[in-house]
Amino acid sequence: MLSLPLWPTDYYKRADPSLGTPLVLYERIKGGLRLSAIDAAARLAGLKIGQNLADARAMVPELSVLEMDRGMLESGFAEFADWHSNASPLVAVMRDAEGFGDLVLDITGVSHLFGGESAMLETLLERLRVLGYSVAGAIAPSIGAAWGISHFAPGHVVARPELSEILDRLPIAALRLNPQQLAGLSQMGLTHVGSLRTRPRKPLQARFGVSLLDRLDQAYGDIEERMSPRLPVAERYAERKFADPIGLLDDVLMTTHDLAVQLAVRLEAEGLGGQAFHLFLYRVDHKVMALSVNSARLTRDPFHIAKLFSNRSERLSGEYDLGFGIDMIRLAVSSVSPLEGVQLGNFSHQGAAEDLDQLSDRMSSRLGAMAVLKTQLLASHIPERAARLGPALVARAAPRPANWHMPLRPLRLLPVPEHVAINAEVPEGLPASMIWRRDRYRIEKASGPERLGAEWWRTGQRLELVPVPPPKPVEPGQKAEPPAFVPDLVPFDPDATTRDYYIVEDGSGRRFWIYRQGFHRPDEPAVWFLHGLFA
Amino acid sequence: MPTPDRQQRLAALRDAIANIERKPALAETRARLIGQGDGFPVLGGGLLQEVFTDEKRNAGAILGFALGQAKGLLTPERLAVIFLQLADEGQKLGLPYGPGLLSFGLDPDALVLVRTASMHDLLWAVEEAIACRAVAGVVADIGSHSKLLDFTASRRLSLRAAATGGSIFLLRYGENREASAAHLRWRLSPLQSGRRRYDAKAPGPLRWKAHLEKGNLHRTEFLLGWTDHGFATIADEPTTGAGFGHGTPLPRALPAAVADRLLQAG
Repeated sequence: MLSLPLWPTDYYKRADPSLGTPLVLYERIKGGLRLSAIDAAARLAGLKIGQNLADARAMVPELSVLEMDRGMLESGFAEFADWHSNASPLVAVMRDAEGFGDLVLDITGVSHLFGGESAMLETLLERLRVLGYSVAGAIAPSIGAAWGISHFAPGHVVARPELSEILDRLPIAALRLNPQQLAGLSQMGLTHVGSLRTRPRKPLQARFGVSLLDRLDQAYGDIEERMSPRLPVAERYAERKFADPIGLLDDVLMTTHDLAVQLAVRLEAEGLGGQAFHLFLYRVDHKVMALSVNSARLTRDPFHIAKLFSNRSERLSGEYDLGFGIDMIRLAVSSVSPLEGVQLGNFSHQGAAEDLDQLSDRMSSRLGAMAVLKTQLLASHIPERAARLGPALVARAAPRPANWHMPLRPLRLLPVPEHVAINAEVPEGLPASMIWRRDRYRIEKASGPERLGAEWWRTGQRLELVPVPPPKPVEPGQKAEPPAFVPDLVPFDPDATTRDYYIVEDGSGRRFWIYRQGFHRPDEPAVWFLHGLFA
Repeated sequence: MPTPDRQQRLAALRDAIANIERKPALAETRARLIGQGDGFPVLGGGLLQEVFTDEKRNAGAILGFALGQAKGLLTPERLAVIFLQLADEGQKLGLPYGPGLLSFGLDPDALVLVRTASMHDLLWAVEEAIACRAVAGVVADIGSHSKLLDFTASRRLSLRAAATGGSIFLLRYGENREASAAHLRWRLSPLQSGRRRYDAKAPGPLRWKAHLEKGNLHRTEFLLGWTDHGFATIADEPTTGAGFGHGTPLPRALPAAVADRLLQAG
């Protein structure tokens, strides 16, 4: 557990080193401007969180004051947390008190890489102090205990046998209790966790609620507390650390290829292939850049993976910002499934379908997954519903009904039907000419209409086949009949949604697909739209 | 009058120069001809073809012409046609429509649509796609003029196409012609459709008029019709305005009477 009590002011100071000390951040709370975060110098000067801003200014005239932006602080802390995944794969932000300031790392099976638990704690704390953060930390067998110890007895590495001894001596605030519970407990004269633990539990629960006992048990490790890690855990990854940070994109891509080769060897040994690959670039200044690419097929071909990342990197040329450089690169694979051993590289034998899938991988990695599309046909008679465009990466040919019959349809469909003006109307039929996009067309040939009704069951409407009978008058001596059940939906209006489609051809052979919206009405002019272009 | 021996040597030298320049020999188009009767030639892969039409409202016609050729290039080894378009031109020109492709005779599964944000990306995608061995044809629908699409770009594309054996169709609109290295350039316009059996008022089988502006084929003017087996040349332009009124297999009053009967029955 790492705790950064002064995170807000440290963060603002790092973002803008010209800020003077003492620095305080204020927020508008209940109509007044109150301090919500202060730095070490301000604390020495006697300021407190929650104080009125005007009072604070009077006490310390040379104060630097900023408004606090919680959203920015939280997202900054989240990036900070991601960066710590270079120490342990499981990192979470503890959100019990605030959205920032407390970081949980699960170091099970990791600490030996740093030369032991206390050495690991020292390394993590030291590298943050170098960057100018005030940080305290502790290692303990339970999350609750680690929180309490890092806040009230920092620097300890506590093993399970001595856990209760240390916890007993901590103040009750180390239990992550809410202010009412704290006030009540101090009224009772309970100041230490130890005195709370030896009390009978039932009265405590009756007075302070079950959450107090939960916190107590969590601290002592009697009930399990789960952390929600920020990044998904990738079991299979390859990584490389650099003695000096690197900055060039080409170097990053070259390293990616090397890592892909390492990863491929490992996957091949296990007989696996992956579909999603993630590249994490750990920047020197505690930020992580993550790039992900997907593959339509299981693969472990390092050339293909490296190519996808190099395409993906071209798309972010603008937002590519390495700051002061990268000191670690990790390539992880997810969506792993068994894949038989196949020959890769120059002597590979690939079918056409594999080739095509790799092509759409490459194009999607550069243009985005929603830029490479395939048509999926659906069983619907509404033209715009009958075909759906989906990403080619996931689209698979759906089985088509055997007796598939579709009447003549245009080769191109306009995504939004366009209005056409009619200047020579023929009652109940097709107009003799129309105006579309400011050009006049004389309709020489036409076939139709093909009437397509709307799908009322999709629009959340009620189809009324038989009108609801009016309630009968109640005869004396008899019970009133319950009214017929009518669902609470708008009645379906076929007039508004039915379309009559015509295929029309003008004098020079252009063929269009136009429709009239609604039924023909003698008193109102019909509304016509153009929906498609035939070959 | 050069002797045959000398002619052979000249041809060999020409080929050598073409090889050095990595330039498809001048007779490229003829070499790619698969079948050539009197009608429309069956063109093989490896060609860069520009298909021009004067107006954007003919977008359907030129897409049909390009897909009709690309369909002939599909084999079990080359199983896809890639269609590319700028994302913001979808509404202006329309998107290829799956059921319409079925009506046309092309399996919608064989068509991959790529919508790019910029012309730069589009040209990249054309090159990437034509380099793939499984692609039979690339149809790029380019509704606007761009400086990026210059002679150099088309030269790159024509070399790529010749090297990999897939065909590229650039669908262009307007009457401007820029210098390009395309093997063939067509100017296409729709033609009034043929007669539909039993219903002379309805649009019939579709037809095009194709004029070859650049390239080396035996003819430059084609009147084309579309059949189940591909393109077919038709003899003559049909007289305009024909078809209203005559040729119905039933006397005109009878269908109306039947319809009336049906209405009453319903």
